[in-house]
Amino acid sequence: MSQTGDSVAVVTGASSGIGRATAERLAGAGYRVAVNYARNERAAKAVAASVAGRAYAADVADARAVADMVDRIERELGPIGVAVSNAGFYEEVLIDDIDDDRWSRMLRVHLGGAFHLTRAVVPAMRSRGAGSIVLVASELALIGSPRASHYVAAKSALIGFGRSLARELAPQIRVNIVAPGPVDTPLLPDRDRAAAYTSTVPLRRIGHPPEIAEAILHIATATFTTGAVYSPNGGVVIQ
Amino acid sequence: MSGRDRVALVTGAAGGLGRALVAALGDAGWVVVGATHSDGPYGADLSRADEARDLVARVIAGRGRLDLLVANHAAMTMAPVFEHPVDDWWRVVDTNLGGSFHLARAAAPHLREAAGAIVFISSEWGITGWPRASAYASSKAGLIGLTKALARELAPRVRVNALAPGIINTPQLGVDAQDAGLTLGEMKGRYEEATPLNRIASPEEIAATVVFLASQAGSFYTGQVLQPNGGATMAS
Repeated sequence: MSQTGDSVAVVTGASSGIGRATAERLAGAGYRVAVNYARNERAAKAVAASVAGRAYAADVADARAVADMVDRIERELGPIGVAVSNAGFYEEVLIDDIDDDRWSRMLRVHLGGAFHLTRAVVPAMRSRGAGSIVLVASELALIGSPRASHYVAAKSALIGFGRSLARELAPQIRVNIVAPGPVDTPLLPDRDRAAAYTSTVPLRRIGHPPEIAEAILHIATATFTTGAVYSPNGGVVIQ
Repeated sequence: MSGRDRVALVTGAAGGLGRALVAALGDAGWVVVGATHSDGPYGADLSRADEARDLVARVIAGRGRLDLLVANHAAMTMAPVFEHPVDDWWRVVDTNLGGSFHLARAAAPHLREAAGAIVFISSEWGITGWPRASAYASSKAGLIGLTKALARELAPRVRVNALAPGIINTPQLGVDAQDAGLTLGEMKGRYEEATPLNRIASPEEIAATVVFLASQAGSFYTGQVLQPNGGATMAS
């Protein structure tokens, strides 16, 4: 686990849910953590305080804002060893109602967010000869969904993006994807908390954010793993 | 995450990855029973159902419980499919796939009781196939099917996952080199070139992923095939 210890990790969308749990887990593993948020300053600052890290505002859909944030993090906390692209949102909209704006926003936040973060952190990682990038996708990217084609398209694109980067940035920088199943976060629809759904999950429950955070920490530090898609999903997707 | 005196059975414990697995699980707090093909308290020919059953019975008799099965043992011989002696072909399949099945069947009641886990050690070649390795690749692909079926069948009490590692720096690589008529160094060089990370794995970094899957940290994984392979394969 050569990257733990004297290193900085940035987690986008870390004011709640999986991002928050990841910030906490990385801090527990010894990283100084930059807690990115778009709007929820209060929650982000609370997370940053609890992990002895620092909160950084930036809408990941805004390339310039992300680049500026990464500059500040490297100046204030130090060289970024691990970058976790986690910021995202979920909405259920049927195809007839996905207008250009909804489509664009979904792609800009998920795929654009990963693109902007990667572009910002890679030059310095490359010059240091080491780095690890983790993109948070979704199990829905593996199986589709009848209610959120724009979300699934964006999350699926992340997998192609991540695998390509894994090839392009090897051998110095590893790039991997975590595709979580249903997890107890503010994004999860109530339908997926109901017994009618959880009884269909092989493990008979939804996941907890710390379990996904463990997966992110593992893949971020698994030294022979690159271009991999790991899916802690309770057995929802076994393919 | 620690095993906290939970009991793990690792087969193929004398091999390159096996030794690393025993060490890594021990470091994580597991009580590790290492089984080998040779004589000894936990020796067994796992191509035989009775010996696999007996091995599990000895673990229970000696340690009182079983929380984790890591089916890591493997036989590997290489030959073109039309020349591979049929008996040897089946020996490879019966050892790798059959042995894992016999072990899982014998271990399942104990794992259920302990809310335990199984990790099957498959291989990148079980996903990609490989020339002159039809027996080995078949057995390792079969393990992936076994993993997915057992994950569904033993849920929610027992988690079942597989690892499909890429090329690891172990003595098994010598079989491959010999078959290809190359020195070990040349063989390594060939694989390094074909791997985005430009190297082959150390047993320790593969073992770390097994410890992760087996521990509480892997608690939402079941039916999954994790692939520490240096980027050599990016499909599943």
